Amino acid sequence: MAKTIMVIDDSATMRLSLKSGLELSGFKVESAGDGLLALNQLKSGIKPDLIITDINMPNMGGLEFIKNLRTLPGFRFIPVLALTTESQQEKKDEAKKHGATGWLVKPITGPDLVKVIKQVLPGA
Amino acid sequence: MNPLLEQFLSESRESLQGIGEKLMQLEKDPASSELMTELFRFVHTLKGNSGLFDLPELTRVLHAGEDLMDAVRNGVVAYSPLLADRLLDAMDFVGMLCDEIEKHGSTNAKHIDNSVRLAADLRQLIVVVIVSSDEVACAVATPLQPQNSNPASQLPLADLSEEIRMTAYRAAVSGETLHWIEYSPSEECFFQGDDPFFQARQTPGILWGGIAARHVWPALAELDPFCCILDFTVLSTASLEELQEYYRYVPDQVRIIPVPGRFFILPHGDPNGGPVYEDFVADALGLLQSGNMVGLTRATRSMLELSNPDLWLSAALRWLLLVTEQEPENVVVQEVIIISLRTLTHPDWHELDASTPIQDGDAVTPRFKPAKQTPEVTALIAAQREVLSMPNDVAWLAGRLKSVAASLSGCLQAIVSTELVASMDVALNESLEQQTSVPLLRWLDSQFEQTPKADQPDTSDTIYMPETVAVPQADAAVKYGRRSEDAYVGPKSIKVDQAKIDRLMNLIGEMVVAKNALPYLAGRAETVFGVRELSREIKSQYAVINRIAEEMQDSIMQVRMMPVSFVFQRFPRLVRDTSNKLGKEVTLILEGEETEADKNVIESLGDPLVHIVRNSLDHGIEMPDVRRAQGKPAAGTIVIRATQEADRVVIEIRDDGKGIDPAVIKRLAYEKGIIDEERLERLTDQEAINLVFAAGFSTAEVVSDLSGRGVGMDVVRTAIEKVNGSIHLESENGKGTCIRLSLPLSMAVTNVMIVESNNQIFGVPMGIVVETVRIARADIRTIKKNQATVLRGRIVPLKSLNMLLGQHDPPKANEEDELAVLIVSLGGESVGIFVDDFRETVDIILKPMTGVLAGLSAYTGSALLGDGSVLMVLDMKEII
Amino acid sequence: MSITFKKNCVVFCDMAEGEDAESLLEWLQKHPKGKIDLSECSHLHPANLQVLMAAKCSIFARPKDELLAAWLDTALKTV
Repeated sequence: MAKTIMVIDDSATMRLSLKSGLELSGFKVESAGDGLLALNQLKSGIKPDLIITDINMPNMGGLEFIKNLRTLPGFRFIPVLALTTESQQEKKDEAKKHGATGWLVKPITGPDLVKVIKQVLPGA
Repeated sequence: MNPLLEQFLSESRESLQGIGEKLMQLEKDPASSELMTELFRFVHTLKGNSGLFDLPELTRVLHAGEDLMDAVRNGVVAYSPLLADRLLDAMDFVGMLCDEIEKHGSTNAKHIDNSVRLAADLRQLIVVVIVSSDEVACAVATPLQPQNSNPASQLPLADLSEEIRMTAYRAAVSGETLHWIEYSPSEECFFQGDDPFFQARQTPGILWGGIAARHVWPALAELDPFCCILDFTVLSTASLEELQEYYRYVPDQVRIIPVPGRFFILPHGDPNGGPVYEDFVADALGLLQSGNMVGLTRATRSMLELSNPDLWLSAALRWLLLVTEQEPENVVVQEVIIISLRTLTHPDWHELDASTPIQDGDAVTPRFKPAKQTPEVTALIAAQREVLSMPNDVAWLAGRLKSVAASLSGCLQAIVSTELVASMDVALNESLEQQTSVPLLRWLDSQFEQTPKADQPDTSDTIYMPETVAVPQADAAVKYGRRSEDAYVGPKSIKVDQAKIDRLMNLIGEMVVAKNALPYLAGRAETVFGVRELSREIKSQYAVINRIAEEMQDSIMQVRMMPVSFVFQRFPRLVRDTSNKLGKEVTLILEGEETEADKNVIESLGDPLVHIVRNSLDHGIEMPDVRRAQGKPAAGTIVIRATQEADRVVIEIRDDGKGIDPAVIKRLAYEKGIIDEERLERLTDQEAINLVFAAGFSTAEVVSDLSGRGVGMDVVRTAIEKVNGSIHLESENGKGTCIRLSLPLSMAVTNVMIVESNNQIFGVPMGIVVETVRIARADIRTIKKNQATVLRGRIVPLKSLNMLLGQHDPPKANEEDELAVLIVSLGGESVGIFVDDFRETVDIILKPMTGVLAGLSAYTGSALLGDGSVLMVLDMKEII
Repeated sequence: MSITFKKNCVVFCDMAEGEDAESLLEWLQKHPKGKIDLSECSHLHPANLQVLMAAKCSIFARPKDELLAAWLDTALKTV
């Protein structure tokens, strides 16, 4: 069964890029424009196997989102990858502290993306 | 174009707009961290997105911008107007590249120079040393490095099966590196989405893996299954780099230890059997020394056949066979194995001379060399040395020293030279006291060798060390051919394709018209077919449909509504740039930015507003010294205020400049032949001022490069009137000018009143209808040739619609001899229009007159009514 | 469902997720002699593994996936 990945980024360009990359690799993709919208989607019953989230977003950023996510039933152990840039080492550490599994350094291309996903998502 | 690129361009425009806006706001409130965060986000997003495409010029500039904004956001660099200037320049450049991409699908390589220069200008502002992520990564990664010179000696390799160990040995002989990975996930790792078991299982190059509990399991009742106390061990043939990359998310939870191949040579088994092997040992050593490998192999085989395979002896023999086969020339190892048969104890490989010609081990694990010589450390130290060599006379010296010390201390811990940290601290304190980097630099030199320059990393990429904040080269100002007012790209917050909204708009328009057919039908049901009941039912159905249609129309209108801020937001930059260029001081005040109007109306406002504001800047506001001489504040003020008045949006542009001198206007108009001498005499001041709207009129004595693009106020007026707007100008000589634009909130559906005159029906826009009255013929006075009446104490001039349209039939009176008069408001004055009768008001979609009818100025347009007939809508201003 | 609880036996199938560990723990507390069938298991979240290890329960069917079986052999007893 195809794994579902949720992509959260306020940039529509980034969402589109990740979505098309992931779909090409056979994943199902759900996307949301910020943390709050993502939480609402998750509460309404969407059950992704992995979440990729940007850190810096309006309304609710990635870190706060992850913190909230971990309190939702069924999402305590879901792998979460934070989207960062190479200049944000402290963000990477902070993301881990907030409950992220790892991070992706933007820009990320298809093969690299799939490699990382295969590393953190059993059965992918 | 590829949809991703398209999306990128549209989003980039938005971001650029946002960046400009935030910078303007920051200029007023430079300490706002909220603005700073938003600004950073825009630059950050742009840069992140640009990386998706092969646009190096774009990414380079944005990357520099992002780093700069990051430094500003973190308080490392203070916001300054210079910073704003450079960032704006950089964003103009980015905007220009976006335009180019849109046109040609790619950027021209000729921009490289500008891109490099702009990026350098931005980076120059990052004053404090930024420890690049590479260095941080190095510091983080260091726990992976072996903690002492021979950690492999303590590994429980004997626990592995002989088969696995032999595989590992073979791999080592064939040139592969072997790594022992100890992965101790943190207790809360499950709540970070980690699956350490999966992670361990997927380790690249895995040969073997094991799981053990960190401590004794509690009783099931006390067990917290989500507190991870498992340790994972993996033996892998992957390289250190590969493993570090693989475990990059958990570097602090992983220990990676290189294992020399011979460490796996561990005979294992039942030590029984006694000293009967002494003969074999002597024979084997003899064969080995004489180089008779075939003989050795044969002797070993026959000995092995005679022995129980579970014996320690058999295991040792199997190893001897393997080593002889794999490394026949490695006499030392074979000898050690043979000799171990005497004692039946593990050979101690760690004591073996390091020069033993085994191909693996030390040779493939350079980290056994003192770690301080690794390139990362060398580079880091060279960088710190360079930082310390910079001039001391800067305010942030203390911060710089501390940051160097922090980098060095991390580095020392990483290479297990913690004992050096104390002496470094002493040097640091000395440096801080003396306000010079010399002591710290001296300490650094005493501890670490200078490395040749060539070995230093490319510092330009990792460390930014400007000496001073120099004057930007940008002053020579390549402005990328973009004027600040061009930076505005149509508001894009309606993310639905414009065409779809237009279609909805047209459909609801048709719906509104179609529903109007129902009252006609009801009328016919009653009058033609005489079914009163049905007529009533149709009417009640109509009421329902009417309500829904109205709500629908409202909602669709709402979708199209957008705040005037979309137009206003370009002005801070326009005013800033223009006033700088002119040497004037101008404060811009924007009010009522949240006032909403239809998208078309808002968009049509853009160009006229720009023109008006530029006129104010150019001709209105005086130079500061002139202003001061007149007792005005040196800085002029321009206020742009939007308000909603009934169904119109009013924009007022007011400046406190020199105003318009009616005498000058009169003279100029006369000189340009716009008015003749007779009119010149009679012209009032207000009329004179209104002459600026006349075609071909420009008051500028010298045409500066700012005074528009050959566009005068007449064009402004035309543009405003095109969308049913009006423009009004007031000016007081020496005090300032105020221009009021009044525009409809929406242009799509017009509410008109239908009136009947001379057996024809006409529409009159409800916007100008004040009231409908019936006036007794006796109350109509004739003053000279004109008719008038008194309405609530005011004299209202009366005109006949028939006369206005060139027909001579008198208006019809009703049975009580009263005449129907439509009171309309024109230019603030009420006028009464005689008509034969009033009808209902309807919503129509006004279609402008086209083709041969376009010349009929008496009508603003026509519309289709529910019964299929055509309604002509009157342009009252024209006919009166 | 990746874990099926039978009368005196737990059957793992495909992947056992972290969330399953709580019910597994509960079941093993009620069935201390319960048997574990891992033959169809391809992976199990370590939370489940911890429960199995702590319960010192008997594995009567090793995973068919030899690689997984080799890992588990280092942690669990097989009957």
